[in-house]
Amino acid sequence: MDLKKTFDQALWVFHLNTGSCNGCDIEIVAALTPRYDVERFGIKLVGSPRHADVLLMTGPVTRAMAPRVKRVYNQTPDPKVVLVIGNCGTTTGVFYESYNILGPIDHFLKQIDPDVKIVYVPGCPPRPEAIIDAVAKAWLVLEELRGDNK
Amino acid sequence: MKVMNGDEFASYIKDRFGNNVLSMRVDKFKNGVKKSEFHSVWLRVDRSVFKDVMRAITEIHDEAHIAVASGSDLGEEIEIIYHLNLFWGERNRQLTVNLGVRCPKDDPHLPTISDLIPGALITEREKQEFLGITIDGIPDPRRLFLAENTPEGFYPWRKDEDQQEKLKKLYRDVHEEGV
Amino acid sequence: MADTTYTFPIGPVHPALKEPTMFKFVMDGEVVVDVDVQPGINHRGIEFIGMRRNVLQTLHLAERICGICSIVHQYAFTLATERAAQVFEVPERAQYIRIIMAELERLHSHLLWAGVAAHELGFDTLLHLSWKIREDVQDVLEIISGNRVNYAMYYPGGVRRDIPPEKIPRIKKVLDHYKENFQMLADTFLGDPVIKHRTVGVGTLSKKDAIATSTVGPTTRASGVMKDVRFDQPYDAYADIDIKPVIPSNYGFEDAGDVYANIVVRLIEVAQSIEIIEYALDNMPSGPYRAEMNVNKVLMMLRKADGEGFGIHEAPRGEMCHYVRLKENQDNLDAWKVRASTYNNILAWQKKLIGQQIADVSIVAASIDPCIGCMDRVAVVDSRTGKEKIMTDVDFHRLSVEKTKRLRK
Ligand code: SF4
Repeated sequence: MDLKKTFDQALWVFHLNTGSCNGCDIEIVAALTPRYDVERFGIKLVGSPRHADVLLMTGPVTRAMAPRVKRVYNQTPDPKVVLVIGNCGTTTGVFYESYNILGPIDHFLKQIDPDVKIVYVPGCPPRPEAIIDAVAKAWLVLEELRGDNK
Repeated sequence: MKVMNGDEFASYIKDRFGNNVLSMRVDKFKNGVKKSEFHSVWLRVDRSVFKDVMRAITEIHDEAHIAVASGSDLGEEIEIIYHLNLFWGERNRQLTVNLGVRCPKDDPHLPTISDLIPGALITEREKQEFLGITIDGIPDPRRLFLAENTPEGFYPWRKDEDQQEKLKKLYRDVHEEGV
Repeated sequence: MADTTYTFPIGPVHPALKEPTMFKFVMDGEVVVDVDVQPGINHRGIEFIGMRRNVLQTLHLAERICGICSIVHQYAFTLATERAAQVFEVPERAQYIRIIMAELERLHSHLLWAGVAAHELGFDTLLHLSWKIREDVQDVLEIISGNRVNYAMYYPGGVRRDIPPEKIPRIKKVLDHYKENFQMLADTFLGDPVIKHRTVGVGTLSKKDAIATSTVGPTTRASGVMKDVRFDQPYDAYADIDIKPVIPSNYGFEDAGDVYANIVVRLIEVAQSIEIIEYALDNMPSGPYRAEMNVNKVLMMLRKADGEGFGIHEAPRGEMCHYVRLKENQDNLDAWKVRASTYNNILAWQKKLIGQQIADVSIVAASIDPCIGCMDRVAVVDSRTGKEKIMTDVDFHRLSVEKTKRLRK
C-alpha cells in the first residue's frame, strides 16, 4: 500500500446508521476515542454529510431509511467514498428475510450512482483496527479520484 | 396489597372467576447454589371477564408493573398475553403473572387496560399494528413502529393464508418502483 | 417533515426501538410544551425473522438486536427458552459465569453512557476519559469470549465457554484498576459545579409517574422506586447474592428523578457491579458449564419441547423481557416477543421532556440511556408562530454546549 507519509488534508467522515444493531456504531466511536484515537490523523466525525469526504454506513437498510440513504449520498460532495461497515451493510447479514429490510446498502447506492466507490469492511462487528485500515484504504481511493479530477 | 405466592394467587383468581378461567399453571424455578425459588403463573381467561381479571389484579397490587404484552396468531384466533410483575419492591417477592386472552379473527376486539395501568399504552399500540386487532378505548391509536410506507392491512405477525402473497407484493413494490 | 433525516444512533437496542427515533416537539419559545415520540425507523422485524428460524439460530439473531446490550437479549432469550422447554438443568458454575458476563456488560454499558452524557453536556474531555476507562472492560470481555461486541456466551442449558482459573487474575487486575479510578470518575461527575448546574432539577420524573408508566431500570430507580429484577426476582446466581437496588436516597442524594439522580444511580451501579463480579469469581463452584454439550442433542431436546416461557433479566438499562413459545415437532419458534428496556421508558421520556428548555433536551433524552441517535432529528414547532423548523443532533449539541459555556462564565 503506497499511502503517502503525511495526509495533505484532514479526512472528515459522516456516519449514517441505516438500521444497524449499534454494534458497528460503538466500534466506530471506539476508534475515535483514546485507545485507537483516529482523530490524531485528522479523521473527524462531522454532523452533516455536506462536510464529509467519506460516508460510514452501517446496518441493513430498513424501509424507513432507504430513501434517506440515497438522500445522504446525494448530499455528500464529490469526490466521495462510502465505507460499508459490518456484515449487515454488505449482505444484510442475519436479518436477510425480514419484511422491513430492503437490502444491503450497495443495492441502493448503485441505483443512483453506478460508479459509486465502496470499501467493504466485513465483520460483526469489525474491530476498530479494521475500521482504521479501511479508512486508510478509502484515503487511497480518494487520492485516485482527486487525481482524475485534476 | 396482600402478598401472595403463585399458588395462592392461582386459587384466588380461580375462586373469583370460576369457569371463566380457561387454564391455569404455576411454574416454580429454583436458582443459585442456595436453590431459592420464585413463581410464575400462567392463566388464560375468557374475553368476557378479561377486564375484570385485570381490575382484580390491580386491586391485589395497585402498583402492578406491566412488562409487555406478547401476541400471536393461532389460526382462527389471536392470542394476547399480558405479562405483569406483582409485589416488586422486596427481595425475592415478585410474582410474574402471564394473563392470556383470545379473540376470534373476525371480531378482533379487546378492551384497553391503559386506564388501569397507563404504562400499557405503548405495547397496546404495537399489538394493534402488528396483529391487526382493535383495542377499544385506547387513548392513542396511531401506528408506532411500522414505516409510513408500509401498506395498510399488512400485519407482520399474522400467519394468514394470504400472508405469503402480501409479503411477496411488499418486496415486489420495493424492487420495481424503487424507494 | 422526516424527509431529510440522517442518523447517528449509538445505544441500547430493541428490534423496533433501537433506532433513530423521531421526536416531535411543540415549543413555546425555548420551552417544550408537548412532545411526541415516533419510533420505527430502525424497525427490522426481528420477531418475524425469529419465527422462521430454529432456536439456536435465533439465539444469534437475538444477540444482534443490539450491539451494546447484546448479551442482555441473549440472556433473557436463553432464560425464556429454558423455562419454555423445562428440560435443562443449568449447572451452578454456568449460573455464575452468566452473571459475571452480565455484570461486565453493565460496567461497559454504564461507562459508555457516562461518556455519552458528558458529550451531550459539551464535556468532551470526560467522554474520552470514560471511553478510555471502558476499553479495559472490553479487553476482559475479549479475553473471555474472543470478541469485543457480540460475545455469544449464553446457551440453552448453560454457557458456551468456561472461564478457566488462569484467566481470573487478569480479570481481577482490571477490577482493581477500576476501583482505583472510580473515585476520580465519581468526583468529576458528581462534584463538578457545571455538571451540577446542568443536571440538578432538569428532566425530573416523579415517583408516582415512574410507577404508573411502568418505567424500568436506572430511570425508575433515580425516582426512588425499588425495582430491580436481580432483587425482586433473583434468577441464576443472583439468588446467592444480596443485591439492593441502588436508590439515590440510600447514598445521601435526592430521589429527584432528574438527570443528576440518573448519573448517581449509574455510577453507584458501576461500583456495585464490581463487587458482584468479585464475589462471583471467588465463589464460583466447579463442575460442568453446560448441561448438554452436543449441539444436535440440544436441538432435538428443543424440538421435542412444548411450552411457553418468559425470561426477565435486569439489563443495564432496566428490565429486559423475552417471551418464547415452542411447539412440539417444530424447529422454529412458534411465537417470540422481545421487550427492550427503552420500550417501557418511552412514556417517561414524554413526562421528562415537557417543560424543559430546548438546550436541555439532548441531555434529558440521554438520561434514560437511549441511543443518542434518538436525538438526530427533531421537528420543532413554535406554537406562537406555527413555523416548523427542523433541528438536527448537531444543532442540539451546539445549543447544549452554548448553555454549558454560559454557565461556566
Ligand atoms: S454487522 Fe453485526 S454488529 Fe454490525 S450492525 Fe450488523 S449485526 Fe450489528
